[in-house]
Amino acid sequence: MSSLLKRLLAVQETGLLIVLVALAIALTAFAGSHVDPRTGETVNNFWNSYTLIQAATDASFFAIMAIGATMVIISGGIDLSVGSVYALSGVSMALLLRAVGPMNPVATTFVGLGTALGVGLLCGLLNGALVVGLRVHPFIITLGSMWVLRGIAFVATGAMSILVPPSLTRVVKATLGLGGGLYPVPMLAMIVCTVIGTIYLTRTVMGRHIFAFGGNIEASRFAGLALRRIQIGVFVVAGLTAGFAAFLGATFYGSTSSGDAQGYELYVIAAAVVGGASLIGGKGSALGAMLGAILIVLIRQSIRTLHFDQNYEWIVIGCAIVAAVVVDQWSSRVTARRLSRGSVAATKQ
Amino acid sequence: MTTARQDTTPAVETARAVAVRFEHVTKRFPGVQALSDVSLDVAQGSCHALCGENGAGKSTLGKILAGIYTPDEGRLFVHGRAVNFDSPRDALAAGVGIVHQELVFCGNLSVAENLCLGTLPSRRGFVDRPAMEARARALLAEIGATMDVHRPVADLSIAQRQIVQIASAVGSGARVIVFDEPTSSLSQVDAERLYDLIRRLRERGVTCIYVSHRMPEVFRLCDTVSVLRDGKHVGTHPASELSEGDIVRMMIGRPLAEYFPPPKSTEEGREVLRVQDLTSPGKFQHVSFSLRSREIVGLAGLVGAGRSEIASAIFGLDPDARGEIVLNGEPARIDDPADAIRLGIGLVPEDRKKQGLVLSESCRHNTTLPILERLARLTWVRESAEWQLVREYFKRLGVRARDPDVPAAGLSGGNQQKVVLARWLAANSKVLILDEPTRGVDVGAKAEIHALINELAAQGTAVVLISSELPELLSLSTRILVLREGRLVGEVPGHTATQDGLLRLMAGLAA
Repeated sequence: MSSLLKRLLAVQETGLLIVLVALAIALTAFAGSHVDPRTGETVNNFWNSYTLIQAATDASFFAIMAIGATMVIISGGIDLSVGSVYALSGVSMALLLRAVGPMNPVATTFVGLGTALGVGLLCGLLNGALVVGLRVHPFIITLGSMWVLRGIAFVATGAMSILVPPSLTRVVKATLGLGGGLYPVPMLAMIVCTVIGTIYLTRTVMGRHIFAFGGNIEASRFAGLALRRIQIGVFVVAGLTAGFAAFLGATFYGSTSSGDAQGYELYVIAAAVVGGASLIGGKGSALGAMLGAILIVLIRQSIRTLHFDQNYEWIVIGCAIVAAVVVDQWSSRVTARRLSRGSVAATKQ
Repeated sequence: MTTARQDTTPAVETARAVAVRFEHVTKRFPGVQALSDVSLDVAQGSCHALCGENGAGKSTLGKILAGIYTPDEGRLFVHGRAVNFDSPRDALAAGVGIVHQELVFCGNLSVAENLCLGTLPSRRGFVDRPAMEARARALLAEIGATMDVHRPVADLSIAQRQIVQIASAVGSGARVIVFDEPTSSLSQVDAERLYDLIRRLRERGVTCIYVSHRMPEVFRLCDTVSVLRDGKHVGTHPASELSEGDIVRMMIGRPLAEYFPPPKSTEEGREVLRVQDLTSPGKFQHVSFSLRSREIVGLAGLVGAGRSEIASAIFGLDPDARGEIVLNGEPARIDDPADAIRLGIGLVPEDRKKQGLVLSESCRHNTTLPILERLARLTWVRESAEWQLVREYFKRLGVRARDPDVPAAGLSGGNQQKVVLARWLAANSKVLILDEPTRGVDVGAKAEIHALINELAAQGTAVVLISSELPELLSLSTRILVLREGRLVGEVPGHTATQDGLLRLMAGLAA
């Protein structure tokens, strides 16, 4: 029992999880409650299935992107273009589906998903190839592509909103038997992406190479790693996750425009960093990215739930992000100290 | 520190006044007791060696004196006065300077700017450049050095940076200078220059505290030797009363049966690697040699002779290199390290922390980094196979890590180097290029690494050994190739070569 507890405490994400749970408890305690007019039951204003799933849905779109962005950050890079990739993927999908015309739901889903993922992948490939080929820092390349890609979406749509076929929206808004206006698909997609991301990062050759690349590029070169492939790879994954998020987001809301996901890149980077990814590279996790996204959404949610002035939302989020990173750095220093003390004890035995 | 002030009565007048006194100094770092209850005196005008293995606390003691660390307990006296340094600035104000490799200069600023930093001469609010440069030249001249003071410090060699450090310390009136392993990255020639400089400083009455574990230079330079072990002061003796063996014994707490391993078998193996007419413009020209299995070929040369560059070229790290590399009788095309690794070549690079290891990653991940694909099915890493491999080689090499999953950053230098070696054993390398394999490694681990190199050669690995430590090169190598300014200038059999003869070849002096 105690060893299990110790192992749990040693896991990077535990601290974040504790903060999340504490925030959820606090919100539940202070949210107050209302009486449901239909059933006559007393319902907590925060701790009810509708609010919870709504929060998870809000989080899911950029949590999924944050998983990809985390991989870029682990490699020591940064991707500012994910919001634009989202917009371009969503718009391309909607335009293509409109051009093709009505199909059966399965075909629509496949074409829509394929287009969104394909466009995301191409955008990622472009980012990666430019970074590697031109040897320019990812910040600059993706700063450029952030505007270029959104500009393409803007031109392609003529600044209009494009509707997504309702048949597709019904797929993403499937209730899966929950009923009552609850749509769990984006949340489940987020969880699946987190699991896949975790496996990819920790158990595959590619994932392990990303950590080495970000931890020490020179040592990675000396170990014979295919550096270019790794760097292009992380941008491709970031593009893919943005494309997938666009598929979910665009279909969930039923329409897309070139203005979608504006400013998302910063939420996404914030989620990754709050989730423990280090901008120096070499550190981060998919689970952390997801939890980071949820934390940001919960902080936003708490302003609404507790009836604070919504005008203060940005100020609160900004402070919370800095605080979260400072606490994370502090706790990892403490962990490192405990580890080194342990190793000395072990050598003395 | 009012109580300390009362102790300012002149220290006991023995033969020589005491320049520095440590009293019950204790220092703890997270997880390490770096120093415990160390008390010792350094006589004025002496050159006092602080010896000990890596991690014995010798550098910590030096850094406490220079104000880089503050002691947890104990007191420090400089020229009889109790002092309490919070920063290297405080120490310098009290006349204590330090020369050490990690000392940060502003690399982008010039020598002159660095030497005058803090007290830049100015005229009407603007920096007075001519005055600044004149002052910098004067400071350098004071220690008998000349240098282009316009050059950015980042462009200087380590030896030149040390000169700047010394000039800066002497210029600010330092009467005590701590030298923290000053020769660990110097070529023999630069080291000689440093020895000269230290001699001149002593003539001027400067007290030198020399932190090192290199025996020959300790005996050459120092009159007193203090040995530390596991953070404790083992003893202080006049150098004339000690032998090398005595110091090593004090350092490790037991006699070392063999400081260097026994000579290896001379049985000839078949040719494994042949390098023909290898050239990289500006680095080395027309280098040809061959390497047999069971052979350890040493590469000797001064810094800049092209030793590491040749190693890099063979390993596929130099895109400008031209020439032929033949492996096992077949011409090999090596465009990048991945090719070299696939063909069975391993490189233990010169700079372990920058080139050898990903310090943030675990020892296990570091060990299998180059061969992860071999351990994977599709792209899925088979961790059981990985663990088996890591356990096997950690055991064989005696890697002392609490757990292979701790970050490599937490290991001592010797254990880190063993992890790099384990990597190439696990990769099943047939040709092993070792670039300064025992740099920054303590005496015990050094002997183990030497034994391992011999063992590997005996089992059929062909080894290229690059080392700036001539005794290491002489005792391990079957043959030694000598490089000078990018050219192969000679080959001597390992067992007949002498340090002196080798040095002459390296420097291009007549025999």
